Amino acid sequence: MNKDELLEKLEHSVVMGHLDADDEGYDGSMEGTPGTLELLEQALEAGIEPQKLIESFRVAMEKVGNLFASEEYNLADMLASAECVGEAMEIIESKLQVGNSSNKGKFLIATVEGDLHDIGKNIVATMLKGAGYQVKDLGINVPAQAIMQEIREFKPDFVGLSALLTSTMIEMEHVVRLIKEDSFPDLKLFIGGAPTSQAFADKIGADHYCRDVMDAMNKLEQVSNVS
Amino acid sequence: MIVTEKQQLKMLSSAEMQLLHEGSCSLLSRVGVKVTHAGIAALLLASGAQCKGDRIMLPQDMVKNALAQSARIIQFEAPDPAYSFTVNGPENQVKFGTGGQALYVVQRTSNGWVRKSAGTDDLKQIIVLCNQLKQVDFITRPVECDLPDEQKDVAKAAVFRRYCSKPINLANLVKLARLAEVLEIIGNRAHLSFIISLVSSPLVMDSSAGDKFVAIVQKDIPVAISSCPQGGSTAPFSEVGELLQLNAELLFGFVLANVVRPGAKVLYRGIPITANLYSDASPRWCQPDSIRRVALAAQLCRFYNLPCCGTAGVSDQAVPSAQGISEKVLSWVYEAACGGQYINSALGMLEQVMSVSYYQYVIDDIALGIVKEKFSKAQSLAISQLALSAALEVLGCFGIEPDEKMEAELSARIRHIENGLEPYNETYIEDQLAVIEKAVNKSSSTVFMKAARKGLREGYLYKGARLDASLDLAAVAERLESSEGLGT
Repeated sequence: MNKDELLEKLEHSVVMGHLDADDEGYDGSMEGTPGTLELLEQALEAGIEPQKLIESFRVAMEKVGNLFASEEYNLADMLASAECVGEAMEIIESKLQVGNSSNKGKFLIATVEGDLHDIGKNIVATMLKGAGYQVKDLGINVPAQAIMQEIREFKPDFVGLSALLTSTMIEMEHVVRLIKEDSFPDLKLFIGGAPTSQAFADKIGADHYCRDVMDAMNKLEQVSNVS
Repeated sequence: MIVTEKQQLKMLSSAEMQLLHEGSCSLLSRVGVKVTHAGIAALLLASGAQCKGDRIMLPQDMVKNALAQSARIIQFEAPDPAYSFTVNGPENQVKFGTGGQALYVVQRTSNGWVRKSAGTDDLKQIIVLCNQLKQVDFITRPVECDLPDEQKDVAKAAVFRRYCSKPINLANLVKLARLAEVLEIIGNRAHLSFIISLVSSPLVMDSSAGDKFVAIVQKDIPVAISSCPQGGSTAPFSEVGELLQLNAELLFGFVLANVVRPGAKVLYRGIPITANLYSDASPRWCQPDSIRRVALAAQLCRFYNLPCCGTAGVSDQAVPSAQGISEKVLSWVYEAACGGQYINSALGMLEQVMSVSYYQYVIDDIALGIVKEKFSKAQSLAISQLALSAALEVLGCFGIEPDEKMEAELSARIRHIENGLEPYNETYIEDQLAVIEKAVNKSSSTVFMKAARKGLREGYLYKGARLDASLDLAAVAERLESSEGLGT
């Protein structure tokens, strides 16, 4: 297989959300065939430049986005593709020490203290990695001080806070207040989760309320393009 | 309401439920529940549990003992003794109540339906209204007081004490430290029960909920152990896998309760719904796939002869609608037919669990009356026919003349509820246990979502048409206007 064919296969494997040979892929028939991770290894061995690989991931995710928009793909399909890219990017960065190939910016994400829900946060984190952001996921039930500490150390461009309980919305407000008080002028704050709303975001001073993952991605892209 | 033996619907055989039970026990002994609460972990370990890191494994004997010890009969007394009732695990009496923790109240205005934030005054008004609604057998906290957390429990108890005539379910306890004051305010603790979500899916005990649960069980107050996983996000997308996990999470609660107090008055509240993987992973509370799974959880509870706290009637629609009414009717029918006994959230709820509406309470009271009459008078009908006939009659009651298209859609929904798409056998169960174990070990719910792709293509999530028709709500408005004590 020549380099162009390999790149084409890699792109196809991302579109099909086929992570590795153990993964069943989009239509459940791909188990046992080389997936994104195996093809990536072949590509690296063949000496394909990282930037070409990253470009093929970008093209693949654009196709996936269009398939989701046309309802041909569902959320699970889109997430599987994003996970392929996320894991592949980690390998590219670690093996080739290309530094931060995720050049769209740094995103810190967490579910606030008192809240053990992670699904929304995980979906957004996976999609962000797939879209080329450098993501640090602090997990669930994260105390305000731990978030503040990580903002100082990781120096993110964006912070995303998630809460699924009405009771933990208050904690979200607390974290946003601490961030504002500590004055990070360029930091953009995104919030999301079932009980939150645009009105709540306005009230607590968050920059963006995200209704769902696509809303988050769209708003982030808009902000990134402006800055 | 009584569900006769003939009307009892068994969508799974005893052998299939036994396989689920064994699978859940295997999950508890192999994977266990993550418990970071040192006191509760020590209590379980001293009673025969084992640990691996922060996971507590329960041997099958502990589950067996808990199931044998747990109370079968729970009395729910009411401030007005005429409303008191008993839930008896092996019997088929069904009671319906409110529920929620809704953030909003949906109100009817001259400009249409408007959503406003809910608060203490709504709590009072809803209790006053539900005291007067014939089909409301008990009142579970529908909305929270709009007060700081420290004051919520006491304020809520005071409103219930002053206005509620029926058995009181305060649902959650915001601050454990206020429990003694709450009991003092309520006066007779026999009037009171709670709901606790002890285990977050998948298989992680919430320490704060654990403290509250232990305290309530120690005081011998009835408490429903609740688990509400979402297939495809916090549990396997497969109904078999989701039921295995849900059952393990609830059985863990029964074990803990009976370690704390043998013979504990605990109810089994399983709400295995699905996540909307077509779009944003939001919960689908009242679609056929979820109605089926929740009904199966009720059947599983009754397999153990445990008191069953069901959930039905949490519409996915944002405002009162024909679609919402049909969702509720199917949900009530199947939850009752499959074994639900103390059915929460049955009236007033909209937009998953986000909103309630005064109008919807009255609509549901009328609709539930029709459903109950069907169970009482149409005893020869198959449940599928009963459900269709009840849905059509209820829609007619609100001025809708269902056409063939509507009837076909309702029939398709009923078929999806009654007809399973997955095998219940040892191999398939083992596959599902492996998915759960992988998700637990990876600590990531995206495992479930990725594993959902095949099931999505095989139609596990029902995709049908919406029932669109205008409702005639004149009679509802009239009933609301004539209700005593509202708006004062």
